[in-house]
Amino acid sequence: MRRASIYLALVLLVAVSVVPFLWMVATSLKHGQDIYTKVPSLLPLDRRTGAWAATLENYAYVLQVGGLGRAFLNSAWVCLVLVPAKLLVDALAAYAFARIRFPGRDTLFVVLLGGMMVPAVTLLIPRLHVTQALGMFDSGWGLILPNVASVLDIFLLRQFFLSIPAELEEAALIDGAGRMQIFWRVVLPLSTPVLSVVTITSFLFHWNDLVWPLVVLNDPDLYTLPLALQQLVASPDGGRAYYVMAGATLAVLPVIGVLLVFQRRILQGIAFTGLKS
Amino acid sequence: MAAPALADTPTAAPGPRRRPRRPDARRRDHLVGWLLVAPAVAYFLVFLLYPALSALYYSFTDWDLRTPARWVGLANYADLLFDDVKYPHFWKSVRVTLQYTLIAVPLTLVTALVQALLVNAVRRGSNAFRLLLFLPVVTAEAAVGAIWRWLYDPRYGLVNSVLELFGIPGQNWLNTPELVVPALAFVSAWQCGISMIIYLAGLKGIPTAIIEAATIDGAGPLQRLRRVVMPMLRPTTFYLAVTGVIAALQVFGLVYVIFSGAGRSVTGGPEQAGLTYVLHLYLFAFRYDAMGAACAMSFVLLVLIVIVTALQFRFVRQEAA
Repeated sequence: MRRASIYLALVLLVAVSVVPFLWMVATSLKHGQDIYTKVPSLLPLDRRTGAWAATLENYAYVLQVGGLGRAFLNSAWVCLVLVPAKLLVDALAAYAFARIRFPGRDTLFVVLLGGMMVPAVTLLIPRLHVTQALGMFDSGWGLILPNVASVLDIFLLRQFFLSIPAELEEAALIDGAGRMQIFWRVVLPLSTPVLSVVTITSFLFHWNDLVWPLVVLNDPDLYTLPLALQQLVASPDGGRAYYVMAGATLAVLPVIGVLLVFQRRILQGIAFTGLKS
Repeated sequence: MAAPALADTPTAAPGPRRRPRRPDARRRDHLVGWLLVAPAVAYFLVFLLYPALSALYYSFTDWDLRTPARWVGLANYADLLFDDVKYPHFWKSVRVTLQYTLIAVPLTLVTALVQALLVNAVRRGSNAFRLLLFLPVVTAEAAVGAIWRWLYDPRYGLVNSVLELFGIPGQNWLNTPELVVPALAFVSAWQCGISMIIYLAGLKGIPTAIIEAATIDGAGPLQRLRRVVMPMLRPTTFYLAVTGVIAALQVFGLVYVIFSGAGRSVTGGPEQAGLTYVLHLYLFAFRYDAMGAACAMSFVLLVLIVIVTALQFRFVRQEAA
């Protein structure tokens, strides 16, 4: 009896979490007139007859006319370049902070950590100014370079590198391996858990990010998916929920895919990183 | 400041069997170390340290991002706080943000705790429940805003249909000033998955022996929750409250999307009921090109965050005493 009520409560809470997504997908598959019903339907049904009436025409519209097709590719490109580049910059620095002794190392590390305390909104405008001064305003580089390192990720990677037994590296050093060889051949292969957590959270963050593209981009041809979706909401088509929900589905589906495939790593990772970048 | 945990690597301890490395090898190490951190340090200087310092400088100027900034001293700060002709909605945005924080953070924490307790109580399917409850968190702000605009639709939205099932009359959520903040806070609680996961980790950390001892002493489930579980989760709750407040004070993307629409420009909803602090800042920066004033706003927010966080620490210390 008690167990049954726990399951019932859980099912209700899960329904609140998930039904909005089901409704999003259903709306995106409906013919325009079919979304305006007194009793909303979680299935794409004809408004009058109640027969099955799914369509992909909303997707065709937002992909072509709404510019979401191009935006999807832009987002994919940005993530494909930015996420590995950022991982490399962060991992190299983290390795040096963890293992190599050089003058000023610990002071430098503490100063870097201090940088995490500044709220993102304080940095937004001057960062945009720097991006303009470097000639990267309204360009793909302007999306990538101002995001290409993360102090939090350096911190997480360093903590993990410190937990790898130093004897492994010392043995390789004595065998005459160089620092970089050790980094690539010994340290990175042993660090897949933390590397995947950092990669996934950074992908999720940049795939979803709205604010930076919003301030740094003007050219609609460069819009990323969240920005194109926001523009769709703001356009005269914004009243047409079937278009907007098709766009939202396009933004959400890849992320749900990543969540399903990497669920264990993500949920473990979240417990100590949050989802910020 | 460098705590021992930060300072030393295991290589630092001089073992008796280890030969000292040759000086030129050590010098090469210095070089390699600097080379490896160089990209990150360059990024830090260009995109973090310089922006942070220049934001402070520009907050004392009149600046539109294109023409050179003009020094105005404390005028931006004074105007923000006292000139309600120039900034008629500044205090409104502060009120909206505090109101939102006061509703959203407790609502999020309670929802997350309930979810975590329930997920923790079941054996079968707990992974699937956890995953589904986590779904709203990984969703882009833009999509969340778009979805909830449609859910809150006064005539065809799902929220009102569900309420009408229970005999509660539907509301025009996003167009009724008193309902805007609660509606936004509900969306934030809908996205409580991260807090739920962190609570779950906290629950796993409570030794079962303590729970069993309480049960043997005759404590019922509610008593155990109040007297044993909640006290042991206090550090978790405190951490989530502090980080939750800091995030809530900066809420932006959701409101920006939810109130962007055909015909009306973004103004933060009916009677500025959803004009949060950062939305207000954004509008002054990017609609009115008042970059200097926007920088000043960001430092006022920084101070607000520090004050609220300090109050929370103080409150906890008093409670503990």
